[in-house]
Amino acid sequence: MSASGSIGGTARREPHAPESTIGRKADYLHAESTLRSWFLTTDHKRIALLYLASITGFFVIGALAAGVVRLALIVPNGAIMTNDTYNKAFTIHGVVMVWFFLIPSIPATFGNFLIPLMIGAKDLAFPKLNLTSWYVFMTGALFTLVSVVLGGVDTGWTFYAPLSTAFSNTWVLPALIGVTIVGFSSILTGLNFVVTIHTMRAPGMTWFKLPIFVWTHYATSLIFLLATPVITTALILLIAERAFHIGVFDPAYGGDPVLFQHLFWFYSHPAVYIMVLPGMGVISEIVPAFAQKKLFGYRFVAYASIGLASVTFFVWGHHMFVNGQSDLASLVFSALSFAVAVPSAVKVYNWTATIHKGSLRLDTPMLYAMGYIGLFVLGGLTGLYLATLAINQHIHATYFVVAHFHYIMVGGTVLAFLGGLHFWWPKFTGRMYSEPWGRVSALLIFLGFNVTFFPQFILGYLGMPRRYATYPAEFQLLNVLSSAGATILAAGYIFPMLYLVYSLWFGRKAPANPWNAKGLEWETASPPPTHNFLTPPEVPRIPYDYPIQAQESRDQHG
Amino acid sequence: MSAPLADGVGVARAEHFESVAQQREAATLGIWAWLITELLLFSALFLVALITRIQHPEATVAAAKHLKFWIGATNTVVLICSSLTMSMAIEFSRMGWQRAMVRAMLATAALGGLFLVLKGYEYYADWDEHMMPFLSSRPFALAETPAARLFVNLYYVATLLHALHLFTGIGLLLGMTWMAAKAGFLSRHQNWIEVYGLYWHFIDLVWILAFPILYVVNR
Amino acid sequence: MTPSHEALQLWPAAVSATASETDLLILAFTVLTLLLTVPVFVAITYFAVRYREGSEANRQPSGIRSNLIEISWMLIPFLLTLIFFVWGAKLFVQSKNPPPDAMVVEAIGRQWMWKFQHPTGQSEINNLHLPIGQPIRLHIISQDVIHALYLPAVRLQVAALPDRYTDLWFKADKVGTYHLYCSEYCGTDHSVMGGEVTFMNPGDYQDWLTHAGAQQGKVAAGRALYEAYGCAGCHEPGSAVKAPSLAGLYGSPVKLADGRTVTADDGWLRDKILNPNGDRLAEGYKQVMPSFAGRIPADELGTLIDFLKSYSSPAAGKAADATPAGATR
Repeated sequence: MSASGSIGGTARREPHAPESTIGRKADYLHAESTLRSWFLTTDHKRIALLYLASITGFFVIGALAAGVVRLALIVPNGAIMTNDTYNKAFTIHGVVMVWFFLIPSIPATFGNFLIPLMIGAKDLAFPKLNLTSWYVFMTGALFTLVSVVLGGVDTGWTFYAPLSTAFSNTWVLPALIGVTIVGFSSILTGLNFVVTIHTMRAPGMTWFKLPIFVWTHYATSLIFLLATPVITTALILLIAERAFHIGVFDPAYGGDPVLFQHLFWFYSHPAVYIMVLPGMGVISEIVPAFAQKKLFGYRFVAYASIGLASVTFFVWGHHMFVNGQSDLASLVFSALSFAVAVPSAVKVYNWTATIHKGSLRLDTPMLYAMGYIGLFVLGGLTGLYLATLAINQHIHATYFVVAHFHYIMVGGTVLAFLGGLHFWWPKFTGRMYSEPWGRVSALLIFLGFNVTFFPQFILGYLGMPRRYATYPAEFQLLNVLSSAGATILAAGYIFPMLYLVYSLWFGRKAPANPWNAKGLEWETASPPPTHNFLTPPEVPRIPYDYPIQAQESRDQHG
Repeated sequence: MSAPLADGVGVARAEHFESVAQQREAATLGIWAWLITELLLFSALFLVALITRIQHPEATVAAAKHLKFWIGATNTVVLICSSLTMSMAIEFSRMGWQRAMVRAMLATAALGGLFLVLKGYEYYADWDEHMMPFLSSRPFALAETPAARLFVNLYYVATLLHALHLFTGIGLLLGMTWMAAKAGFLSRHQNWIEVYGLYWHFIDLVWILAFPILYVVNR
Repeated sequence: MTPSHEALQLWPAAVSATASETDLLILAFTVLTLLLTVPVFVAITYFAVRYREGSEANRQPSGIRSNLIEISWMLIPFLLTLIFFVWGAKLFVQSKNPPPDAMVVEAIGRQWMWKFQHPTGQSEINNLHLPIGQPIRLHIISQDVIHALYLPAVRLQVAALPDRYTDLWFKADKVGTYHLYCSEYCGTDHSVMGGEVTFMNPGDYQDWLTHAGAQQGKVAAGRALYEAYGCAGCHEPGSAVKAPSLAGLYGSPVKLADGRTVTADDGWLRDKILNPNGDRLAEGYKQVMPSFAGRIPADELGTLIDFLKSYSSPAAGKAADATPAGATR
């Protein structure tokens, strides 16, 4: 295979000639095909695919649970299912989507696959630990699914005490144990990434030549390491409280249930940045590639990633403005929450400036990226509404919050995930997917998503609380609209599952660099050989060395 | 690492690393990152204990009076000595003195075991004194002070978690000692002793935090 | 009477000055949001077209220093949004400082009902009648898990905690009937744990306190208790448990297992609720009903019995309270 990319002039997509190594035993996909070679692999690329398969499965489970929720809400009086069934459905939707899809989605698949390639290394620092993290992940999933099979858990994914510890009659313990275990999987992944990025960069690959994808995963890994242990402690205390009544959250013994909320949200707020930062990294790779233009404000975007990962630790109380914490705490958390919006805004403006005067191709990954920018901005700004104290007193725990976080998690992270999946699909599999189907699905998902979730902003401001199995009749129109949107969204999700799998056997063979993108992963074959590079890769002079360089690249000295 | 390694002592490079220096650096950074997560885990627990003390001072002092201060103090000394023997093992590993290193590792494991024995006796004494409120079958000695059980139960959670780490640590240490006794170990895996030593020191550190926070401050 | 609805409303009625100010705050914030985001959307769409690959647009760099651009678009939006932080904080602090002369109504939440205690002694279940034109402070606590009391019409909510009181205060200026919800997920019937708050002119409120309202509300309160204590879960048609129907039971003869026939009067109903193992029924009913001794306070037991007296058929019993004035939203 050869290095690709043209320098200067207008960029063109590479012609059809395949330059892949499919069929040659040297690529990682085809090197060995025994079950043992997959389930005992230490190759970061294969581990990434193990994660990809499992998180897709969990996404389907979480989506089915969401389907149950939206089905129930077609009627206002709870006629379709019992309240308990509904409560279990939204709980398992949250638990599975947060811990078994969103948190691992981009880091454990794209991060695992791409970080060694992007820095010019042969693997992560601890390959066996990487495999261990996948088995720990699956063990956590097993415990959680056991609780579903036994009859479900109905505490909400937030497990607030004393409901979860002393009042719920459902299978809370297996779910808590499952989530505790899966936290270790995150920690091990984060540890691996931090050590790899620090110690295994190729000679000449300095920090400020790294792709933003690596910066955002580094920032995410810092959060993995520093936040996850605190939820582990919180869950251990919750388990001890439920199993042994230790009293720490029980008012009868002087315990404080709000203490659990502090411990929980100290992790869970940074956790939402775990879910967001990697997606920003993906968008930061797609946009320059499809504008054939250097990322605007590279250093600001890099620093903003670290900035987000730092400030995020100081805003957790904005989930608790009305839950009985002190007024001073609420004022401080509100002010800091306004500050945390700034680094996100930096990225959005920088992506927009990158597109300005670029040379744009609107292929599927770029459609997802553009959709991401729009929806993430809306989701992020509605977060500022929630950070405003007087507004929060009205819309806390209503559908406004539900809409806000779905705009970010689905409109943001899921779109980034799908965009990245299409962008790097040729690299992972050596095949091109069907571009027309890709575009149709992207548009369908964008449409279905907005029909599902925009009405929920209105429902929330009208005062419809969340986690409601029944609701006042006047909200039915908007709920039915939202449920209808969910069916469009579901259809949109199904198409990629079909045409991507189809492409594995029937897709056009992919060249090393089908998009003319920059980055070391494009300097090796599609799919890559097991040890990533046949010859040591040449580190670029500057990051995002695209044909179109804006004035500021000369200002910033590369 | 401060002192240079003796002749014949070193690390065999794993194939995904470019150099031995890179491999050693990665292993050291990796264990430090792991230890930071463990420190946060225990710190959150100690924070909850301190909050309990702030919210219920009299009940906490009443409960803490029942802790076996002298067993705790002895155990502190035991673990500090075990850190000393572990440091010796690390030094010996650098000097290539394999037999001395193995003996120091065994001494470390023995001291760790002594800690667990003393701790077990302490738990038995607690049980005997009806200081196990989480056992619903056994009436709690301080039942008329409801908040006392908060501190007592947190003491169990913290010390049990620490004991779990120590028990696992001893298991790993014995396994590593068995491998380290074999010929050629020090030429291929010297840094394992250093990496493991950091973990052992951390277990000691957690106890050095736990002892004052649980036993001393509340007297 | 359920609040009437308009199909296309975008926000609920605002009954207090602070509620209206909150609406103004969010409206103004929305204007700023649009100012900060619409240019981004427009720009992306425009650029996607104008700078399409192969188009003849001018791609020469503009020469503006990028650091300046970066700092500007970080600082200026941030400082503008801070206006809303301050405004929101001001309203928040006001909402946390009730005037000392506020009328205090105690609110007790538990799975799955609210009990409101007026200062003059009357209590209500799930519904709340309040006067307009004076500050009202709700003094709130929970008896089990964490709940939250939410009144969209005043744009306020606060958690109901099991270990300490929390407060919510407002001054309503408009009459009408509005929703009252529990907004902290609390288990099976979280979404049913609510009712209506009715704001009334002070004169009407006094009337309500003294006679009509207390009486009319009692049947509704009794029905709420019938559901909140789980009686409906077993005694209503369609239950898996197939407990005997209570509709029309009051005053009728009941056959017992020991051969006697008794009349289901006040005393008998009270005894059966507190000690269901006594006076077992004939006709093959298996005794699985739990005892409510110690679980239901005396005044609520009385309200429940009063409800059963009037409970003639399952359909008629559905939650419906009567409010004196015509209800609006």
